[in-house]
Amino acid sequence: MKILFINNEGGGFADYVNLDGGTTVEKFFSEKMAHGKAEDYLIRVNRQPVSRDYVLHEGDRVTITPTKIEGAE
Amino acid sequence: MNQKKTQQSTRKNKSDNQQNQEQKRREFVQPSEPVLRFLPTAWAKLLYFRDRGQTEIGGFGITKTDDLLYVEDFVTVKQAATGASISFDDEAVADLFDSQVDAGRKPEQFARIWLHSHPGNSPQPSSIDEETFRRVFGNCQWAVMFVLALGGKSYARLRFNVGPGGPLIVPVVVDYTQSFGPSDYEAWEAEYQANIKHTSWSKTFGSQIEPGFEENVSNYSVPDDWLEELEAMEPSERQCILDELADRPDLWSESEVICEY
Repeated sequence: MKILFINNEGGGFADYVNLDGGTTVEKFFSEKMAHGKAEDYLIRVNRQPVSRDYVLHEGDRVTITPTKIEGAE
Repeated sequence: MNQKKTQQSTRKNKSDNQQNQEQKRREFVQPSEPVLRFLPTAWAKLLYFRDRGQTEIGGFGITKTDDLLYVEDFVTVKQAATGASISFDDEAVADLFDSQVDAGRKPEQFARIWLHSHPGNSPQPSSIDEETFRRVFGNCQWAVMFVLALGGKSYARLRFNVGPGGPLIVPVVVDYTQSFGPSDYEAWEAEYQANIKHTSWSKTFGSQIEPGFEENVSNYSVPDDWLEELEAMEPSERQCILDELADRPDLWSESEVICEY
């Protein structure tokens, strides 16, 4: 099945990827963001936060974005 | 006959001048070293946000498809802002990614140039700036941290995270050689009101504060009226006082320092 995947790691990515049926968000994250810590990212499916055991479906949009973007003098 | 020759000569000179001007533009637009360039309208919007309130502000640079160091727009997201800090709302960052992709842009065009302001004269990144740049942008192939101080100085560092990698301080230029649009105060003000939420320092970094820390802070906090007076000052005046306090270690002992960044 195909899903739209958006993230800023590496060269940045906003395109469709193929997945096996039954793939959970947790598995997807560990495959695509091998070097990342889950707590450093907000993972949304179809613009909504989801739990790690959410099973992805055909046509889903997964957006993985960094959290805690902070600056100070 | 002579008049005709003069007209032809004038036309030729005009054409040569145009070519020379075009040549100058080309030389400027295609520098051999990386330069962070701003469309004047984007620069104006950044200044408007910096000067609009008494807080830091931050956002991202939106760049051209074929020139990823040419900032065509400055966009903000919802953020908690104090006189000396900003903290982006995580959901708002995700919303920005979704909306920019819907607009046909790639992440490298809208999520690689992180811009924010500093309240004083120094644009030098703080330890928090550095930590964010490393943690948030350290896995990107490249990214830019840009800081604009209230006093007008700026700092831009391009960091490559692939190949040999490494940082590079890059010059900052407002590029007037290409056409640009007018200011849009109403839209900028609406965006400012929607996204910049003035808050207190402890709330801004609340997620990082250990349980019980806020109580400890209150034990040492200065009177509210003193803080209000400080907040009401012009930023430059406030900075002078803070700098003066920083230069007076005799006013406190080391054991009294409860918060270091």
